[in-house]
Amino acid sequence: MSNDLIKQYINHTLEHNKTPESVYLFAKAINMEEKEFYNHYSSLEGLEADIYKIWFENAYKTCADAEPWEQYSAREKVLAVFFAFIEEAKNYRSFAVYLKNRDLVKLPRWPKYLNELHEVFVDNMKPILSEAIGTNEIQERKYLDEKYVSGLWLNFLFVITFWLNDSSKGFEKTDESIERSVNLAFDLMGKSALDAALDFGKFLFQNR
Amino acid sequence: MEQNSIPSTKVERAMRFVKTGAQIGGNYIKHYSKKMLDPSMTKEQLHEDNAEDVYNALSELKGSALKVAQMLSMEKNVLPRAYVNKFALAQYSAPPLSGPLIVQTFVKQFGKTPQQIFDTFNMQSTRAASIGQVHEATKDGQKLAIKIQYPGVAESIKSDLKLVKPIAFRLIGLSEKEFEKYIIEVESKLLEETNYDLELQRSKEISRLCADIPNIKFTKYYPEYSSNKVLVMDWLEGLHLEEFLKTNPTQEIKNQIGQAMWDFYDMQVHEQKAVHADPHPGNFLMQADGSLGVIDFGCVKEIPEDFYYNYFALLVPEILKSQESIKRIMLQQQIVSEKDDKRTQDVITDAFIRMTTLLSTPFVTDEFDFSNNDYIDKIYALGEEVTNMKELRESKEGRGSQHALYINRTYFGIYSILNVLGAKVKTGQRNWKQPLMDYHLNN
Ligand SMILES: Nc1ncnc2c1ncn2[C@@H]1O[C@H](COP(=O)(O)OP(=O)(O)O)[C@@H](O)[C@H]1O
Ligand SMILES: [Mg+2]
Repeated sequence: MSNDLIKQYINHTLEHNKTPESVYLFAKAINMEEKEFYNHYSSLEGLEADIYKIWFENAYKTCADAEPWEQYSAREKVLAVFFAFIEEAKNYRSFAVYLKNRDLVKLPRWPKYLNELHEVFVDNMKPILSEAIGTNEIQERKYLDEKYVSGLWLNFLFVITFWLNDSSKGFEKTDESIERSVNLAFDLMGKSALDAALDFGKFLFQNR
Repeated sequence: MEQNSIPSTKVERAMRFVKTGAQIGGNYIKHYSKKMLDPSMTKEQLHEDNAEDVYNALSELKGSALKVAQMLSMEKNVLPRAYVNKFALAQYSAPPLSGPLIVQTFVKQFGKTPQQIFDTFNMQSTRAASIGQVHEATKDGQKLAIKIQYPGVAESIKSDLKLVKPIAFRLIGLSEKEFEKYIIEVESKLLEETNYDLELQRSKEISRLCADIPNIKFTKYYPEYSSNKVLVMDWLEGLHLEEFLKTNPTQEIKNQIGQAMWDFYDMQVHEQKAVHADPHPGNFLMQADGSLGVIDFGCVKEIPEDFYYNYFALLVPEILKSQESIKRIMLQQQIVSEKDDKRTQDVITDAFIRMTTLLSTPFVTDEFDFSNNDYIDKIYALGEEVTNMKELRESKEGRGSQHALYINRTYFGIYSILNVLGAKVKTGQRNWKQPLMDYHLNN
C-alpha cells in the first residue's frame, strides 16, 4: 500500500514537474482522505525518505536471493548491491534527477530524503564488513573500523551522484565508476592501496 | 632467381613486414647474437640505446593507444629489430571484471544472470581478450566460450588515440598529414572491434563463404545470448601456435594447417574482398588432426575495388613489365605523387618494385616453404635499406594508401605465423591473376 502511495507520489511529481506542496493537496489530487495518508506516513518528507530506502531494500534482496551471493567475497557483495541498486533506481531516474535538482547538497552531506537510505545502508553493510574483517579480506585497524562503513556510504553517495550526471550509453560509465571506486575502497581497507588508487585517479581524470 | 620482374606492395610498410617477420621468426635472436660478436656493432649499439627510450615511452601506453603505436612503429620502422618483437607483444592487461559486474552486464542485456542462462558458468575468466575477457560455460552438454567486453571501452578510444598523437610526431616521426590518414582508418577499425553484433554478423558471412575450404573450422554463435557487449559461441578446441608446436606435430600436419590458412586468406581476399585482418596467433586454434580453428572476426577489412586492382597488380609479374601500368599503380596507391620530381618518382618506384618483388615471392611460385629464414632475413635487409633512403626520409608526403595499412598488417601476420609454424604451402593454386591482367593490360 505505501508502495502504491509512492508510485502515485512519483507520478504526480513527474506530471507536474514539482513535488506536491502539502499532504492536503497531494491527498486531494489522488482522491484520498488526508487522514488515510497519515496511516502510512506522518509527512511528505517521511514518504520521500522511504523511496530510496525501498529501492535499496529491493536491490539487496535481489542480490541476496541470486545464486552467486554465498560464494561472493565481501568486495563482491558490495559491488553486487551497488550494481543492483542502480538497476532498481533506473526505473525512476527522472524522479531522482528531479529531487537532486530540487535539493542541491554537496558531498559529504546529503539531502534529507536519503536519511532512511543511510540507515538501511549502514545496517546492511556492517555485517558484510565485519565478515570481511573476520576473513582478513580487510584489515582490522583500531579507531578506523568504525569509519569503514562511513567511507562506504560516501562511496555510495558518490556513485549515485555520478549516475545522476552520467550521459553515457546504458550508463556504462556508472558501471565503471562502481567497479573502480569499490575496488579502491576495498584496497584501502585491505593491504595494498596504491594500484587501485592510481587506476581510479586515471579514470576520474579522463572523465572530467 | 626468376622473379625479378615481380612487383609488390609498398615501400615502407614492406619493410615493416619484413623486419617484424624476421624477429617473429625467432630468427632474430640468432641474428642479434651474431651482431654482438661483430666489431662493427658500435653504431648499431648506439641506435639501440636510443631505441631503449623510444621503446620505454611506447610501452607506457595502454589500451587502444598501445595497439596503434604498435602498428605505426612496425609500419615506420622506428624500432630496431631487437625491440620490435618485444613491443609487438607488449600487452596492457586491464584488471579483470568483477563477478558482480559480469552478472550486471548479463542482467542489463538479457534480464537474466549468467547462472540462470547457462547450466554452468565459470566466474573466473579463462582468457583475457584485448578489450574484454573470455569465460567458459556449458549448456545442454555443449561447452561454450563467452566473451564479455569491458564497460567504457568504446568511449575511451578517442581519448586513448589523443595520447598517441604527440608520440606519433616526436618518436615515430609522422607528419600531420600521415597521422590524419592513419588515424582515421585506425579509429574506425577500433570502434568496429567494440561492436560485437558486427563481429557476429561478419563471422557468419565469412564462415559461410569459406565453409568448403578443407581443414578450416569456425565456431557457431548464439545470437539469442549475444549483444554488442557479449558474444556466446561454441568452445573451439585446439592450441595456440606456440603451445601447438610444443606437441611436436609432424611436418605433414604443419603443412596441412598452413595450407588451410593460406586458402582461407586467398578466398577472402580474392572472392569476398573482405578479410579477417587480425592474423594474430591468439586468433587461431590448431588441432592435432591438422585443422585450423579461426576465431575473432572483430577486425575485418573491406577491400575497395580500385584499391584491390592496384595493390594486387603489383604481385603479377606480367603487369610489371609495362612501365605504363607501373606508373599508374604507383600513383593510384599514392606511393609517388604528381608533386614529386621525376628523379624522386623513379628512385622510389625502383625501390618499391624491388621490395615488392621480394615480398611477392610466395605468390608467384607454386609452392613456398615459409620456414625459410633466409628469405625473411633478406626482406629485412632490403626493408632496412629502403627505410633509410634519403628520398623517403625527407619526404613530407603521407605515402601509401590508408587501405594498405591493414592489408599489409594481414599479410605480415600470415607470413609470420607460417614462418613460425614452419609450413610448406601450395601458394599458386588459385587463379586470381587473370582478372588483374585483363584490368591492366587490355585497356
Ligand atoms: N570460441 C572459442 N573457443 C575457444 N577459445 C576461445 C574462443 N573465443 C575466444 N577464445 C580464447 O579467448 C581469447 C580472446 O578471444 P578473442 O575473440 O581473440 O578476443 P579479442 O577480440 O579481444 O582478441 C582467444 O585468443 C582464445 O584463446
Ligand atoms: Mg583476438
